[in-house]
Amino acid sequence: MPVEAAATLVAPWVEWARRWTEGRRLLEAGTFALTEGAIAAGCRVFAGYPITPATDIAEYMSRRLPQVGGYYLQAEDELAGMHMCAGASLGGLKAMTATSGPGYTLMHDAYGWAIANEIPLVVVNAMRVGPISGITGAPGQGEFYVARYASHGGNFETIVLSPSSVQEAFWLTIDAFNLSERFRTPVTILTDQVVSDMWEDLFVPADYAALDCVVPRRFNLTMPFYPVGSDAIDVPPNVIGLGTGVCVSAYTHTEEGYDIEEMEAQWAQTYRLINKIRHHRAELTRYETLGVEDAEVIAVAYGAAARTVKTGVLEARRRGVRAGMIRLITLWPFLDELFERDVAYLVCELNYDGQLVREVMRAAPDRRRVHFMGKSAELHTVAEVVAGLEGVARRGRVPELPWIWTAT
Amino acid sequence: MNRLAKKYLRPSQIPTKACHGCGIGMIENWLLQALDELGLGPEDVIFGTGIGCVGRQTFATWGGDNFGATHGRALAVATGLKLAQPDKKYLIVVGDGDAASIGTSHLIHAARRNLGVVVICEDNMGYESTGGQFSPTTPAGYVTNSSPYGMVEPSFDPCDVVIAAGATFVAETTATQWHLTVKVVKKALQNDGFSFIHVRFPCNENFGAYALGTRDTLKNLEWIYEHTQGRRADGSPTDFTWRTGIRHDASNSRPEFTRLLRELNARVQARAAGAPAPAGA
Repeated sequence: MPVEAAATLVAPWVEWARRWTEGRRLLEAGTFALTEGAIAAGCRVFAGYPITPATDIAEYMSRRLPQVGGYYLQAEDELAGMHMCAGASLGGLKAMTATSGPGYTLMHDAYGWAIANEIPLVVVNAMRVGPISGITGAPGQGEFYVARYASHGGNFETIVLSPSSVQEAFWLTIDAFNLSERFRTPVTILTDQVVSDMWEDLFVPADYAALDCVVPRRFNLTMPFYPVGSDAIDVPPNVIGLGTGVCVSAYTHTEEGYDIEEMEAQWAQTYRLINKIRHHRAELTRYETLGVEDAEVIAVAYGAAARTVKTGVLEARRRGVRAGMIRLITLWPFLDELFERDVAYLVCELNYDGQLVREVMRAAPDRRRVHFMGKSAELHTVAEVVAGLEGVARRGRVPELPWIWTAT
Repeated sequence: MNRLAKKYLRPSQIPTKACHGCGIGMIENWLLQALDELGLGPEDVIFGTGIGCVGRQTFATWGGDNFGATHGRALAVATGLKLAQPDKKYLIVVGDGDAASIGTSHLIHAARRNLGVVVICEDNMGYESTGGQFSPTTPAGYVTNSSPYGMVEPSFDPCDVVIAAGATFVAETTATQWHLTVKVVKKALQNDGFSFIHVRFPCNENFGAYALGTRDTLKNLEWIYEHTQGRRADGSPTDFTWRTGIRHDASNSRPEFTRLLRELNARVQARAAGAPAPAGA
């Protein structure tokens, strides 16, 4: 078995990084990259509330936005922050907010409003370990499902992306803004304390205006304001203030935006909110794989967790284990098609309850061969990942290890 | 349809679904009169509302661009919108739940920032669309469907709250005061800053029926009128008196919030133009 493993990265920024090479190389934080990615994508409003470990995004934004004619709002709470972003976006300005778990919980009200009214904006959630305040400076991955089901009431799909390096955070933020414009929906960047706080090599293009990969804001000036019953994407977002007569509300709506209480209307709205995303999954596929072609066991991870997992996979291969890795970048809609191989899977995530592992169990051919290695508040060590991969490959189970949870 | 409704509202969305004798439609007509007297058209005004009787009855009646936020959040949405569309007038028409309970923090901070919007708090003194429970503006001691023994909590006056927070125009009126209402709405629209108008109106179905013992519109209006005067028709004093009229007028005395942000941007960009440009930005 070759120790070297074939690596594949499927994401739009593979091409972007080839096209734009003039710029600065910096040693910078993930929060810096998330901020600069947003500015590069045309974000002109940030409204949020300080919270560790997302606070630095607010601070960077407060410095950068006035320089580019944008606006920094320090909201009275996260709930207000996301509603302010929705208002700014409805007025025609691209907007972003950033938070961590306790603030994310407060945003569900605004999520529902933005999802149902098809308002483009970007939300960064730098996850820390919980529940509640938990340990403020430690990483977690507890909002995998919360980010999918970011509002009550059901009847919608969501788009959630997760970077695993500072450089990727920059490009992925531009991508998140593009998808929010094209799909007319909030896009969540689900990152974590490690990726947001750590400093790494970062390339930033010299001229943001030259980034023709950025999807500009367009305005929908005519009916239908809400193409209910249609799965079309690339419909220009609605705008308040140009006299189109658009109506935006919290109710099940008609194509004009009028509130309505009829089954047909509920059906048509749901068809739109779900199928504009489900029917265009090919536009939303972002992942990295390593050595999956010859693997007997594939480690699965995302975000910061994928960093030690990747090293662990390479180390396991050196020790003769046919190991591979799937790093999810698109978390939602879930990339079921990556789990068609009938092999063992070892899902490594930063929580003890087991969230990502449930989706892998659902998507994989044999759920009995899907194993869980949960760790909470710090990354898996490379030794733990290697032990897990060896255990699954040779004995069909993850060995007993301190601070590792395997029960789902 | 009257002339003002024809000019400003959507024929398909009026009359509203309001209960008989509800004051919401009447007050909306008075808002239209104020706009008309100031020469403002549907294209000049963004109309925002929330949830509850006032949200449900006014949403989408406005002929121009309009929004109905989730409960309490109309001012948070308006704060973002005003940045993007600073030249519009904003009528944020909400109820006592939106303004004085679930959304009070947004109200206070919009007043503190002097956000350039007019908030009309149409107050039927309880949660009437959910069947008549007390709210923070229900007079203490009154019976509602969640205070069957009389409301134990003291109520508060939202005008006092926004004055303390820094609102630059504040007035109180009722559904029995047509001329006063039109006058203060006009003054509010001429303040380039945060204006707040508290308008009490009768709910016959719930507050009237349970707190006052009648579903008679005129009797409920009379009860409100008596409490603006401090005495009943028979000359006896009422149990309390509302202070209607202009409560605070510091119109145009301090800069509107989004203007401050635009001025900040001009300062930052002027300073940057005189200095070496930050690399890569």
